[in-house]
Amino acid sequence: MMIKEVVALIFFIIGSAFGIVGMIGLFRFKDPYSRLHAGSLCGTTTVFSYLIALLILSPSIAITSRIVILIIFFLISAPTGSSIVSKFIWESEEAEDQRRSMQKEDKSL
Amino acid sequence: MTNFILSGMKYFLIVFATITTIRLLLGPSASDRLVAMNVLSSIALALLILWGVTTKNVLYLDVALVYDIFGFLGFLAITRFLKNTKDKL
Repeated sequence: MMIKEVVALIFFIIGSAFGIVGMIGLFRFKDPYSRLHAGSLCGTTTVFSYLIALLILSPSIAITSRIVILIIFFLISAPTGSSIVSKFIWESEEAEDQRRSMQKEDKSL
Repeated sequence: MTNFILSGMKYFLIVFATITTIRLLLGPSASDRLVAMNVLSSIALALLILWGVTTKNVLYLDVALVYDIFGFLGFLAITRFLKNTKDKL
């Protein structure tokens, strides 16, 4: 009985560590892109490690099977959501001005 | 021991949700707000599943699955909608 809880505790600590780091990053970074990096890092990794801890702690087989399906679907939808946001930021207004200012300095872009 | 982990998770998720909402309110441009919303939907999903496991009620997990699917679709719609506005949100 103890091993299950210890492993779940480890995943819980990993998840909260990533969450705290992600939250700090969400506020420290100035650029929407790096905020997206910090935000999606903290969002996806934290929730993923929490789901694994919950998978270990789940009391009945019905809950375990549902959590496995949820983990699979979460791993599909969360990163694609982040990539959609990055595409949106790339096309949005201020990204155009950024690219124009960058183009003046560096012709390679 | 398990109750300790479950309640610890609950408090951590609540703290993350409040911090992300602060980011959502503060964010200067629409893209920061979308980033915060993306994180918020994953945190809400985690809270739902956590509540399903603590109360041993299978219903919450089905709700979480449907929430994940429709949250993702809603997120697609919002980004599509914001694409052509002049970022005046």
